[in-house]
Amino acid sequence: MIELAPILVTLKLASFTTFILLIIGTPLAWWLSNTGSKLKVAIESVVALPLVLPPTVLGFYLLLALSPDGFIGTVWSYISDTPLSFSFTGLVIGSVIYSMPFVVQPLQASFEMVGKPLQKAAYTLGATPYDTFKNIVLPLSARGFLVAITLGFAHTVGEFGVVLMVGGNIPEVTQVLSIVIYDHVEVLEYAQAHYYSIGLLVFSFVVLYITYSLNRKLMVRI
Amino acid sequence: MIQIKYKKQLNNFILNVDFSVPEKGISVLFGPSGSGKSSVLNLISGLDENEGDLIESKLILNNRVIDDSDNSICIKPWLRNMAYVFQDHRLFPHINTKENILFGYKRSNSDLSPEDLIEKFKIKDLLDHFPSQLSGGQKQRVAIVRALLSQPELLMLDEPLSALDYQSRQELLPYIECIHKELNIPVIYVSHDIKEVLRLADYIVVMDKGVVIDQGDISDLCITQPLLTQEEGASFILQGIISKIIKEDKLVEVDCGEKILITAENMQLKQKIRILIHAREVSLCLSKPEDSSILNCIPVLIDELQADRNGTLRVMAKMGGQIVVLLISHRSADQLKVKKGKRMYAQFKATAIIK
Repeated sequence: MIELAPILVTLKLASFTTFILLIIGTPLAWWLSNTGSKLKVAIESVVALPLVLPPTVLGFYLLLALSPDGFIGTVWSYISDTPLSFSFTGLVIGSVIYSMPFVVQPLQASFEMVGKPLQKAAYTLGATPYDTFKNIVLPLSARGFLVAITLGFAHTVGEFGVVLMVGGNIPEVTQVLSIVIYDHVEVLEYAQAHYYSIGLLVFSFVVLYITYSLNRKLMVRI
Repeated sequence: MIQIKYKKQLNNFILNVDFSVPEKGISVLFGPSGSGKSSVLNLISGLDENEGDLIESKLILNNRVIDDSDNSICIKPWLRNMAYVFQDHRLFPHINTKENILFGYKRSNSDLSPEDLIEKFKIKDLLDHFPSQLSGGQKQRVAIVRALLSQPELLMLDEPLSALDYQSRQELLPYIECIHKELNIPVIYVSHDIKEVLRLADYIVVMDKGVVIDQGDISDLCITQPLLTQEEGASFILQGIISKIIKEDKLVEVDCGEKILITAENMQLKQKIRILIHAREVSLCLSKPEDSSILNCIPVLIDELQADRNGTLRVMAKMGGQIVVLLISHRSADQLKVKKGKRMYAQFKATAIIK
């Protein structure tokens, strides 16, 4: 039997993550594409870290950070009484960090493709930087946003290591598809594992097909 | 006058300019490639990056202080009310011509009529086109209209013709000439093309290696400024009033003290014009030839002889209150006994650049 709860948790997690990443990632990508700061390369490297780190490493440090004594956990305790570890919120925080490059990099690339010359032209015509961003950069980066949204969403759906470390596999709260598949395989329920796996396989292929056909140049690069 | 003063460390030299240009007409920043002309435009427009390398700045336009390093004034580019036409058109690719030309208009207090400029620049048929559907010349024309419609206090053009082929340049030049005739705004035009400069400039600022080496009215500089005369030789400017229009021959008679004939169309009687004539196209004779195909032969009084390059003599002659310049060989000068105070005839064809 296919259970609906893990699918819903997965979709909810991916939606929250993508949404938050757009809010954080857009200004970050804008800054990266415009700055001449020496910090740029360092920040770019930090953003790209999840691409090369084993998810378990990230998950391990997140677990420490999210714990009540950890950095994020301590800050969180001022906002809410509920603990972060093994919660859906904790999972969202982990996913945001883990999927960050998949949103920031396509956005940065598309902002860079719009380029400074057009921005400067807009300035000379009386447009403020915000006006320029809204009316010139954003419309010209529409594809970049589409790529960022699909990749950010799909990558969160396909996440395993980090959620395993910080999620705690609690049904209907933090139990996502990839973990359900793992559980089924462990108890040799291959049929159920197949249902979910085929579904994810097809979903991922379709997403990648759409993104690649939109624009290769905006793909994630390490 | 627009007061412009900048000192800035560039990659391989220090840009150090301090000059003024008139508040009307086309002022050309002229000089070889890499002399810092475009850097000056970037500084004036406020688009310059690497502000850290700026040592000194002062820009005053219409009594408004725009840059002043002494008082830490540096107005943001979008508040300067200056328009800029770039070498590359920089039209916004996602909106059509109409939206492009209205971009600056909507963000200004412009009281210009878009319809009027659309008409004058003949872009009515292009309004629905996107930039990718326009030719190079059309893009630049749209870019000029877009800049003008924001009703800037200063218009800057950075070699707007350099990316175009010969045909498109010839087509676009009259439009650039009509900018300051239609709208009474000062224009700063950057160019390293002498033909363009002679045709367009009212005032010239000559730059080399980051400094201003000469500046003045075109009528003064086109005679002797070495950088201006190196390619086409010296030229001179005559001012006059159109006294007769000979439509069938596409000629106009211009009264410059003496009456001369010039090839021109679309002119009006009594119109004041300035014409630029290349000195090499003028010859000198002792008497008025009766059997020449050359239309203009005017009496002149030899005023001064100067050595020019390549062993030629530059002869300055007076015609009424105006100066005619011509280039002759030493040999001809000897044969005709050209000397100061001698009355002679200057002969030249009807071709001239009308300014």
